[in-house]
Amino acid sequence: MRLDQERCQGHGRCYILAPVVFEPDDDGRGMVIAETVPRVLAESARLGSDNCPEDAITVIDD
Amino acid sequence: MATSVDDTGPESENGFDMGDPELNRHPQPGYRMLRDSGPVVRLPGVIPSRANADAHLVGRHADVVTVLRSPDIFSSRFDAVHIGQVRPLIPLQIDPPDHAKYRKLLDPLFAPRRIALLEDRTRALVSDLVDAVADDGGCNYHAAVSEPLPSTVFLELLGLPVSRAAEFIALKDGIIRPPAPTPEERSAMVDAAGAQIYAVLQEVLDQRLEAPRDDFISDFLDAEVDGERLTPEEVIDICYLFFLAGLDTVTASLDCMMARLALHPAERRRLADDPSVIPHAVEEMLRWETPVTAVVRVTTQDTELSGCPIAADQVVSVMLGAANTDERAWDEAESVDIDRRVNKHLAFGGGVHRCLGSHLARMELRVVLEEWHARIPEYRVPEGVELDYSPGLRQIADLPLVW
Repeated sequence: MRLDQERCQGHGRCYILAPVVFEPDDDGRGMVIAETVPRVLAESARLGSDNCPEDAITVIDD
Repeated sequence: MATSVDDTGPESENGFDMGDPELNRHPQPGYRMLRDSGPVVRLPGVIPSRANADAHLVGRHADVVTVLRSPDIFSSRFDAVHIGQVRPLIPLQIDPPDHAKYRKLLDPLFAPRRIALLEDRTRALVSDLVDAVADDGGCNYHAAVSEPLPSTVFLELLGLPVSRAAEFIALKDGIIRPPAPTPEERSAMVDAAGAQIYAVLQEVLDQRLEAPRDDFISDFLDAEVDGERLTPEEVIDICYLFFLAGLDTVTASLDCMMARLALHPAERRRLADDPSVIPHAVEEMLRWETPVTAVVRVTTQDTELSGCPIAADQVVSVMLGAANTDERAWDEAESVDIDRRVNKHLAFGGGVHRCLGSHLARMELRVVLEEWHARIPEYRVPEGVELDYSPGLRQIADLPLVW
């Protein structure tokens, strides 16, 4: 899972909708808590990614 | 910041009459017509104050995203909107790279962690406003809640005297909705209101230089960007933007949402029965209603969007509401669904100029809907009343509700 810090504009949708896998920094931009998440959290990762207005989050199923 | 009245102008030959009450009440069919007309729709001569007086409306989601993410070509600079300012507003009218240094200062102040600290105070204010009307069986919601709540929150935060709220709201309206028939008169009215806003800000700034308080104006005067203090002018240019944005947009959003819920009992009952859906309802109503209908950019060079040429120095109206209801980008774009799983709406804009106050707005909207529905779950618009929405920024100055 990757969150492109250049693209992120701090909408905050990812960490509001999927706080188990994303968290805010002090500026309100999103951060991934861990780059690799267990399969049980994959839906949360996708929920955050799918709701990003800047298309800044990539989730790769490995 | 929305399209000003100047930008939306009178009826154009393309048939988009921005003053049509029905279009402002239900803009979604108009948005569809705009999108289906092409990627870029030119409204000739609607901005007489500019040499290049045409507006270029962009309504398809993909094109809107392109514009918002290309600040080098679609600039948000000083002449994109005329709202009485004499210098570029900070940070809206500053493009990258300078833009980033101001956002670095401002973003933390409006990040969710800081906004959460305002929630208790906001809830207390809402509670008082609801108490004041709960036993009356009805109210004008705009006057009772939509206007006083966000303006009080904002004036306290910024450090302007809440006792002068009515005066400040009138000044803000003089810029956003100047009540004058001709563009020239509107422009003069906007400039006059702008001069008064600068004077108010200067007065308060002088007081805070003398005796700082616990407010944003004092913080800004003390703040450093890249090791340098903000100048008093920079502080005023930030506060001027906040003044217009802070006193209007959440009011418009509350008007739109409460009208929507009053007219759609099934949606209203869901919120009243289960407050946990309120954050999702807020997002879906932001998408569908898009209270701030547009933002404005100016082209810095000859360019094109999806094959449509746009010359340099042209005004581009980025139609957020049209993008938010574009069936090219959304499943079931034209139905309102609180349970929508994917909702990446652009009601707060996007790209580097994403609305700085979006987290504050979301908190206020949620808290108002929570407190209101806990006390007054049943309400409606009286029979026979047709609501009038203002163009551009969709306020409903007369929003009668009965319960």
